[in-house]
Amino acid sequence: MLDRFNSSTSKPNAVRLLAIVFFVTALMFAIIGTVMGDSFYVRLATEALIFGGLALSVDLLLGHVGLLPLGQALFFGLGAYVSALVLKEWAASFWLAIIVSMLFCAFAGLVGGLIAIRSKGVYFALISFGLAQVFSKVIYNTRELGASDGMTGVPVVTVIPGLQTDNPLGFFIVTWLVIGGIYLGLRYIMQTPMGRLFGAIRVNEHRVCFLGFDAWRFKITAFVAAAVVAGLSGALYPMLRGFVSPELMFFQVSGNAIVNVIVGGSGTLIGALYGAGLLTMLKSILGSFTVHHHIVIGLLFVVVVIAFPRGIVGYLVPVLEARLSKKKPGEH
Amino acid sequence: MSQSSNQDTVLSVQGLGVSFGALKAVHDLSFDAKRGNVTAIIGPNGAGKSTAFNLISGAIVPKTGQVKFEGQVVTGFSPDKMLSAGLSRSFQITNLFFDLTVHENLRLAGQYLEHGQGWWAPVQRSQAALARTDELLKQFGLAYKSNELAGYLSHGEQRRLEIAVALASKPSMILLDEPTQGMSHADTQETAELIASLARDFGLSVLLVEHDVDLVMRVSDHVVVMAQGIKIADGSPQEVRANPDVQTAYFGDKH
Repeated sequence: MLDRFNSSTSKPNAVRLLAIVFFVTALMFAIIGTVMGDSFYVRLATEALIFGGLALSVDLLLGHVGLLPLGQALFFGLGAYVSALVLKEWAASFWLAIIVSMLFCAFAGLVGGLIAIRSKGVYFALISFGLAQVFSKVIYNTRELGASDGMTGVPVVTVIPGLQTDNPLGFFIVTWLVIGGIYLGLRYIMQTPMGRLFGAIRVNEHRVCFLGFDAWRFKITAFVAAAVVAGLSGALYPMLRGFVSPELMFFQVSGNAIVNVIVGGSGTLIGALYGAGLLTMLKSILGSFTVHHHIVIGLLFVVVVIAFPRGIVGYLVPVLEARLSKKKPGEH
Repeated sequence: MSQSSNQDTVLSVQGLGVSFGALKAVHDLSFDAKRGNVTAIIGPNGAGKSTAFNLISGAIVPKTGQVKFEGQVVTGFSPDKMLSAGLSRSFQITNLFFDLTVHENLRLAGQYLEHGQGWWAPVQRSQAALARTDELLKQFGLAYKSNELAGYLSHGEQRRLEIAVALASKPSMILLDEPTQGMSHADTQETAELIASLARDFGLSVLLVEHDVDLVMRVSDHVVVMAQGIKIADGSPQEVRANPDVQTAYFGDKH
């Protein structure tokens, strides 16, 4: 799935256009939903963005460094639990919950990375998977953390004066800004020497060492960054839904994030958000017609992978590039 | 390529050896490479020259002996430390970033020249890396392929890019592992000229492992001949050519 298409080598115009379209469409969707008084879809769109954040962290590892994280939901779930604990037990502060979750996930990412980065390829994937299994089962069996029921009753908090997390459109905009910020941040990193070296590691890790760079350092940096991104996204979850459960760390969540990235286009960043947006919406819409919506999604995944092996964005970017460059001569 | 006699030693190999099971792949190999010279290791197939190359470059950790570079013991250094010491290498089997452009291959390697500065600025601001990239693109005749993916280059062009990437960090010595491997006759001629010019025009010290004896005799200042894991001769191309042991072991079948 590691395609030749990669955000570090493509021209930015088409990608930028797709990013603008994504964020503007998402905002319009939430505003229209609010105007029509349908807060269900506004909250669903918020959830899609939150899972989009997790997908971005997967794309950082999978699409840019070439590491397949089968257990990335671990950090998403840790972020969610830490955020819920801070809000319930410590102080009902949005900012404190966000900062503590990020710091905790940075530390967890460092420890997890020290264990997982030692291995390559399928072994890395399995260690990542194993770590998530272990921690989700530990939480599943810890009564103090609500065990299999998770924790409910996460309080509504104030983000900025006048804006609380139970305001559907307000919290959508908060999430929109956070995920947009993560997207722009990652996009920027990919243009720096460090980001370019991530790409080099994906293409040919062996050679990177002979250029005078310690590949391990860049891999662990990326792993910690991905853990922080996943944890930050996860920290928003209990604010939206008011509860957390061990399912947030289950393989289903990690697997969905990988599907989001691959359907959207791995190595494109914005593709991760398109994937998360489309699949979250699709699941909800199909789920209201049939309980067997996973079958439809599974089939769709197979079709997309065969028809568009580079994902939706991976397919669209060259098409848009061609259109954009054709237009230019006519515009004087 | 006449050399003055008072040149200093840049690379000193002392008693280097490694065994694979019962096979003594390289045994007690010692020689010195002088600054600004092209030093070559030659030998028939299975003589241990590639193993010797890997021992010197750090790809294999030697069991005995040591490698001194610029007076510093670099035996068993990791590849990135080796490059920091000023010792770069190319690969026998082309080892490039095939999915990246020619420009990006060189820019990545040239990034080393930024000395860890500017990690938070976009790469467009990496002046030293970009200048080095342009310089190498010109020097290696690859400017017109700058935006081509490295994987789409011809074999000869890939071999040239391989050397250019190894040079991007401005090392003081470069180790070339069979640089003409699989090249056409014309490309081999060009590469020979290139290797000679690395030492002559750029003052680089070159260590070359090569099976093409004619090429070695033409471009080298100093030749180390190996057979069955040991050094059998060591000297100028003329001396080596005249050495009876070498004639038996290497050129023997020609006579």
